Amino acid sequence: MKANWTLVLLPPMLFCFLLLGGTQFLFIRAGFFEDLGIGLIGDELVFSNYVTVFTDPFYLDALILNIKVSSVVVICGLLCAYPVAYVIARMQSEQWAMILLAAIVVSSFVTIVIKVLGLIIIFGSDGALNRTLLALGLVDEPLKIVGNAYGVVVGLMHYVLGFMVLMLFSVIQTIPRSLEEAALIHGASPYRMFMRVVFPLSLPGVATSALIVFNLCMGAFVSAALLGGGRVLTLPVVIERAIVLDTEYAMGGTLSAILLISVVLINILSIWLLNRFRKARLVIT
Amino acid sequence: MRRRKLLPKVLVGSVVGLVYLFLLAPVIVVAGASFDGGKSVAGRAFLQFPPSDLTLYWYENIQPRLWEALGVSVSVAAVAATVGTVLGVPAALGIVRSNLPGKTLIATLFRAPLQIPFIVIGIAFLQTYYFFADAVGFGLQGTFAGLALGHVFVATPYVVGSVGAALQRFDVRLEEAALSLGANRLTTFRRVTLPIIMPGIYAGALFAFMVSFGDVPISLFLASATYTTLPLEIFHGMEFDFDAAVLAISTVVLLGSLVVLYFIQRIVGLDVLLRSGGNG
Repeated sequence: MKANWTLVLLPPMLFCFLLLGGTQFLFIRAGFFEDLGIGLIGDELVFSNYVTVFTDPFYLDALILNIKVSSVVVICGLLCAYPVAYVIARMQSEQWAMILLAAIVVSSFVTIVIKVLGLIIIFGSDGALNRTLLALGLVDEPLKIVGNAYGVVVGLMHYVLGFMVLMLFSVIQTIPRSLEEAALIHGASPYRMFMRVVFPLSLPGVATSALIVFNLCMGAFVSAALLGGGRVLTLPVVIERAIVLDTEYAMGGTLSAILLISVVLINILSIWLLNRFRKARLVIT
Repeated sequence: MRRRKLLPKVLVGSVVGLVYLFLLAPVIVVAGASFDGGKSVAGRAFLQFPPSDLTLYWYENIQPRLWEALGVSVSVAAVAATVGTVLGVPAALGIVRSNLPGKTLIATLFRAPLQIPFIVIGIAFLQTYYFFADAVGFGLQGTFAGLALGHVFVATPYVVGSVGAALQRFDVRLEEAALSLGANRLTTFRRVTLPIIMPGIYAGALFAFMVSFGDVPISLFLASATYTTLPLEIFHGMEFDFDAAVLAISTVVLLGSLVVLYFIQRIVGLDVLLRSGGNG
């Protein structure tokens, strides 16, 4: 009867893998045609687009900005999401924990463009935040957040915080509370207990969620395009412009391939580093 | 001693409070501002929160274009969730139950669409449609099928993930019991296996629906003037000229999502979403 399940698996597998392989192959191939502008492409496979990308500082800057913004979001995201996840995981009342988690689920279920719309209303130069700050006399002139990299970071934070809290919650929940109590009884301060017991045990989960969030940020388009006000040119924004505004289809393909490859490479690199780190620690202890 | 304990508590408490404020405020602000009469500056309406006067003006002035886009969004998401489930459930069963060599690789490849940035997926599908238009004279660019196919591609992994998780928790002895008591394989599947993995299927289909419904970067390349989705309309509205009715239709969508979440809570419980959310 075992062949049964293989037969069940085969049709969806063929369909999905054909779609995956076919589309990825064709678009990477498309990036190798020479881009003649205004929607025209050459007939031969050449490297000219790749040469352009790696010699033109405009494209390289976009990639570097992309990596910088994503890293900032991962770090700020961890700093904000970890305390929230910890508090929910260690909450006395189960009902309250459920309510807090439900609030996160509700907020991550809202369509991203609508949330960005709300963020613009709040953080815009004439927005609720600036009016409050001005009324309180905390600032003399409105803070400029929407339309620069800060705005993009705010938008991406909003995009990933919910996921991060849920992921970290499920990690911290698996750490037995008795370990914390044992450390406290033996005289560790709460700070020391956290740094030596809880945090190290949650580290694999922290690393995984950081990686997932980094991936999300690298490819994030809506927040970057709208909260950057068209002035923060991360790679996804540059790709959209190449295709929609400049109709450079081949160039768009090349840039997409570079985005995809850099995401994959950074992932492989960090997994490799994590494994080394783990092995090194094993040797020490 | 008490003092030393108080400070970290206040600090952590305020971080938690700020995170929740940050997460929920935009939603509340959109809903609130949609009832604002707005002041007109240079022919454009600027809405504010808290609203200065309450009016349903913008709700009465939601353009038919936006309603049509909402219709397209719901249909595309429904197709993506349905086809995603039809593909994803057997795939998950096959991955968990069969003993094919390289099962981990197969599972990874099924999850692959979620590792690819959505904007890259949009371009890849567009290039593929152009390739077919060139090669055989028929491409799917600008058609409903073309748009839906791109969404199916990203919807399926969510179903595979959550149904796979449900199957892994599944106690196989339940099936063995049914079989030994004389049920045939089909009956066993229909009466034992399916009801148990049903919450996983619901959760996966729901995730698929929401991801498809909210998507901008894929639709950006696959939609056309005839088939455009609501998030795309809102996106273009924010990028070019802002129509305040967008806030009104966003509030309609918000209410819709709350109703959906309420029914999910009633039927299967929100914790199903929590349990299967992490491995999407």
